[in-house]
Amino acid sequence: MIRVQGISKEYRSGRGQIQALTDVSFTIEKNNTVAVFGKSGSGKTTLLYCLGGLERPERGKITCFGVEIHSLSEKALCLFQRRNIGFVFQHGNLLSYLTVYENIAFSLALNNFDGKTIAKRVHELLEKVGLAETGPALPHELSGGEVQRVSVARAIAHSPQMLLADEPTASLDTDTGRDLVQLMFNMGREHGCTMIIATHDQEIINLADAFLPLRDGKIEKEDG
Amino acid sequence: MTFKHLKFWIRTAFVFLFRSGRSTVTLSLMVVMAVAVLIFLSALAVGINDAMIRNSVGLYSGHISGFSLPQSLDTQRLKIHGVVSVLKRISIPGILSNGNNIETITIVGVDPAAELKTTAIWKKTVSGKFLKNADRTVFLSHQLADKLGVQPGNTVRFALGLNKNQIQFIVSGIYKTGIDYLDRGIAFCPFEVLPVKKDTWEAAIFIQEGFEPESIIAEYRTLISEPAGFHSWKEMMPDLLQLIDLNYISMGVVTVLVFGVVSLGIACAFVIFILKNLREYGIMKAMGATPQEIGRLIVIEVILMNLAASSIGVLIGVLLVFITNYSGIDLTYFTSHNRYFVVSGVVFPRLTFFSLCLPPILALFFSLVSAIWPAAIVTRRKAADILRSF
Repeated sequence: MIRVQGISKEYRSGRGQIQALTDVSFTIEKNNTVAVFGKSGSGKTTLLYCLGGLERPERGKITCFGVEIHSLSEKALCLFQRRNIGFVFQHGNLLSYLTVYENIAFSLALNNFDGKTIAKRVHELLEKVGLAETGPALPHELSGGEVQRVSVARAIAHSPQMLLADEPTASLDTDTGRDLVQLMFNMGREHGCTMIIATHDQEIINLADAFLPLRDGKIEKEDG
Repeated sequence: MTFKHLKFWIRTAFVFLFRSGRSTVTLSLMVVMAVAVLIFLSALAVGINDAMIRNSVGLYSGHISGFSLPQSLDTQRLKIHGVVSVLKRISIPGILSNGNNIETITIVGVDPAAELKTTAIWKKTVSGKFLKNADRTVFLSHQLADKLGVQPGNTVRFALGLNKNQIQFIVSGIYKTGIDYLDRGIAFCPFEVLPVKKDTWEAAIFIQEGFEPESIIAEYRTLISEPAGFHSWKEMMPDLLQLIDLNYISMGVVTVLVFGVVSLGIACAFVIFILKNLREYGIMKAMGATPQEIGRLIVIEVILMNLAASSIGVLIGVLLVFITNYSGIDLTYFTSHNRYFVVSGVVFPRLTFFSLCLPPILALFFSLVSAIWPAAIVTRRKAADILRSF
């Protein structure tokens, strides 16, 4: 279960103090899929980053699967992240110097998987995302849809408890986006991931078990 | 950290460097050039020092001077491991005259053939020729010849003191070394025509390169008892020793300064190199890589790049030394009036452990130091901030 209690996050920028999240609270049951939606600047990405340990909220508590991640030390937070969280970013964010194979293997190697397991797992995942032949390719040689599919495979490779996706279909055309959503949902559910997806995509919102509408850093209406 | 983990980060660093192609090559070139140039300069400094020693000891004195050696002691007994040759000499003080011109001198009995083979004093002949065995001839310094007013072929008279028996010699040649103590009151003659016998003799001992005179002397002391004694060239020429030390110190300072300046360039290039890859480090952080692991990755990148660049730099440096060592570098134009280059101004750059190892070690040290700043930037920045900035 993921429990968020009254988290707030603010930024200092050239335009002054920006309140990205204000007193956000919600609970997500294990294995559920939640769509976080809202306009640009509503705080979707900040919320995802807080849940994924990339940001620390100024106030409030985040408990993920029994661990209060807001109070973990930097190192412990990193270790928690690498074991329990998988990220799918808007533009894939693959490591550009690593091949497709190496990108997926990276998260497995970080989690201390042995070489044979890594090879087997990467090949399985590449088969599943329909990119079995692209293992040796570098990210710049892939299309946007392929990059996102590799990104999903990478995020799910180490079987994390939580899959966070930040507008994964935003840079894709409708058909490719639909395929990716199906793939992500199938794989996420297959691996028993709790999925939290920041999106504008109505299809994702419809497929989700619950949705979380954000506006100006606040939840408009709580659900789930 | 396990070995498996370290292997993983080394592999990642290698892949990053290898696939960064041009950036890695540009960065490496600075290290390659700095290492190669400094290896060559260090070898040249060693070569200059060698030349000064070779010139100074090769002219006359040898690396070790033996004195008060008993006549019962054979030169062969002094030819221990590391000794190339032992020249026997017998010095006798006396008076040399030409008519009314009288000078107090030391006449040194030598083996002309051995001297020709080992020393270079004969090369300093300005008129006439060097000695021949058994000839009743003397080889005079130019100052002595001037004061006596003699030329090769003239006759001079030697006596052990005033009102003593005089022995006649013919001047075979006149030399000029530029070294004060040799150019003043010394005359050489073959052993066979020395006017008196002496109980003791002196030795000029020449040793192999790489052997220290002190260790040879220590061995002699176990073989030969007092009053026989030995002095190394370092004791006889403290000024040369100081000059060599000074040379090494200035070379060390130059090396450090060059790398200090190069490290600034490397630091700037590293900042660009690492910040260019900032997004990659941010993604790794988002995947759960700890700041320590990112720092380690950067350090491994620096070490790998340096190992590769330094290896190439060392190869180029060694090749440069090898090529110049083959024929030597003729610095006669710059050394012709220098007493430490009296025999030859040709310098043979020589590699030593120090000259070979210091530049790559310094390159690594300065590169690591210069990577601290960009590494600190990367490890301190939050993954979220990095990802938002792209």
